[in-house]
Amino acid sequence: MPQSEAHRLQVLLDLNILDTAPEERYDRITRMAARLFQAPVALVSLIDAERQWFKSRIGVPFSQTERSDSFCTHTIMQDGVMVVEDATQDPRFAANPLVTGPAQARFYAGCPLEAPDGSRIGTLCILDRVPRALDDEQRELLRDMTHMVAGEIASGAMRHASERRREDDAWLGVLLAHIPDGVLMLDRSGTILSANPAAEQMFGSDVAGLAGRPATALLGDDIGAWVAPRRDPGAAAQESVGRRIDGSSFPLEVKVAPMRMGGQRRFAAIVRDVTRQRDAEQRSRATEDRRRKHFTTATHELRTPMASILGFSELLLKRDFDAATSRELVEIIHRQATRLVELINQMLDLARIEAGGVQGLNIGPVVVADLVEQTLSGLNGLGQNGRVRVDLEEGLPTIAADALKMQQALTNIISNSIKYSGEGSPIDVGAAALQRDGRPMVAIRVADHGIGMTDDQRNRIFDAFYRAGESPNVQGSGLGMTIFKEIIELHGGQAEIESRHGVGTTVTVWLPAEAEHD
Amino acid sequence: MTDKTILIVEDQDDLRLLIRLSLKSLGRIVLASSAAQGLEMVRAEKPDLVVLDVWLGDGGSGLDVCRAIRADAAASGTRVLLLSACGQQSDVEAGLDAGADRYMIKPFSPQSLVETAGTLLGNA
Repeated sequence: MPQSEAHRLQVLLDLNILDTAPEERYDRITRMAARLFQAPVALVSLIDAERQWFKSRIGVPFSQTERSDSFCTHTIMQDGVMVVEDATQDPRFAANPLVTGPAQARFYAGCPLEAPDGSRIGTLCILDRVPRALDDEQRELLRDMTHMVAGEIASGAMRHASERRREDDAWLGVLLAHIPDGVLMLDRSGTILSANPAAEQMFGSDVAGLAGRPATALLGDDIGAWVAPRRDPGAAAQESVGRRIDGSSFPLEVKVAPMRMGGQRRFAAIVRDVTRQRDAEQRSRATEDRRRKHFTTATHELRTPMASILGFSELLLKRDFDAATSRELVEIIHRQATRLVELINQMLDLARIEAGGVQGLNIGPVVVADLVEQTLSGLNGLGQNGRVRVDLEEGLPTIAADALKMQQALTNIISNSIKYSGEGSPIDVGAAALQRDGRPMVAIRVADHGIGMTDDQRNRIFDAFYRAGESPNVQGSGLGMTIFKEIIELHGGQAEIESRHGVGTTVTVWLPAEAEHD
Repeated sequence: MTDKTILIVEDQDDLRLLIRLSLKSLGRIVLASSAAQGLEMVRAEKPDLVVLDVWLGDGGSGLDVCRAIRADAAASGTRVLLLSACGQQSDVEAGLDAGADRYMIKPFSPQSLVETAGTLLGNA
């Protein structure tokens, strides 16, 4: 039973023989056929969708005809050798252009040519200009010669397939050498047979050090279940903890796929190191937690002064108080409204600084002495400048900074020193050029002799809305140090705080010195 | 003036004054400004009502104070009104879970604070 025409055409196409150059191994057979049958025409004809195309031809000057004009298209529809003794007497071919035209074909004999899978892809055929007959011996001969053609086609297909395999191997080799995923081949018991370079790097050993180990040693114990016989490993990658040869571990995703090689059951384990993804997820969770906590605290901090404003104003509207009490309550309302405005301004400021990032900075060369001077003159309103002693090293390099933002940062720490140290107690502001981690830096130091901080307070100093001592009556939004730290870090700097309870606090700001210009 | 005792536990001076002025017609007012001081006053004064802030400074929590009151058999008649600027649904639930009778959110209207406190004292 012939298979479907679509399948037959696909087989023919896959042989990659159509429209190829003539080959001696086929021409040898047609030459032999023409001579043995004493026929002027012998063909290896392949039946394509709309045409017959001759891989080898003796006695015809053209390489293809319309399929509708073809004798061979009939040959492949039946079994064994088809013989047309006199085409003019056969109603199927009497009007055929090959018969009526200059070719003057009268006699045809053809045998179906089979591809390796049995699909009839064409024929070996002979034609003559005179009517003839073919005896059984001659039919046998034609069949044998057709088998010779089929043999050539099969060996061509094999050559082609092995070429394809070589190409696939080369492609696979490049792929395994360069993909970032580790690929391990495991035997049926889960023992490692081979590893690609990514796997070698991932587990910290060359193939020799990995081969022979149980995959569970590297991929976690769950792998044992996946390589168990008859276990469907499923489509999804599994998460596990990878162990390197040196004993260290890392998060990984692994997918185990079963396969057969040389009749043996094998597994391919495709392994991905997901350390970076996990870290990123953790960072974004931490950021989200921080944001939520910040929102909760910010809401609380805004509602608290509003409670005083709303509550006292309602009391003033609904009850009678003597003049002195009324004035006291209005003063509270005013103080809390002022605090609310300060809080909102600071929150907006912090949000702007965070949102603007480094791009939001207006960076230029800043002379440290000018920065300190401008910061102190901005603090003049506090009337405390007499306490501040300035000692700057000679010949300090300039820093690359946003002068106004940096001034804001310094203002926040110096005003804290003023706020948290006794009246008249001195505050020292110094600066020095120092190397840090091999980079030239400028260290600006603000030291007070105030109340200092406990370790707990020191650890929380940069938390938004945290006020040292949490004394509700200390003025300030609790955002000053958060803003300070944000500004310093945006500048690529670092802030260090040393503090002893009851002794004082020293804040050191490290900022990168500007590269020297020639 | 009734014979009821109201304890106000609030770390903010201004708000302590506001609550005191609001509630002074309901009874005798005693004040505390921290969690520890609040608990001390609960034991010493056996108040009928505690108006309790939640964030009490230096990590002190009104929720802990509330739970301690509920665990104290001697304070079984004490009503607790939490008054906090933490106003999310989860905050309110945490407050009621800690055993508070009512939870009010800051900012608040002194009038409604008086009404709520009055109701709780009436039931005491």
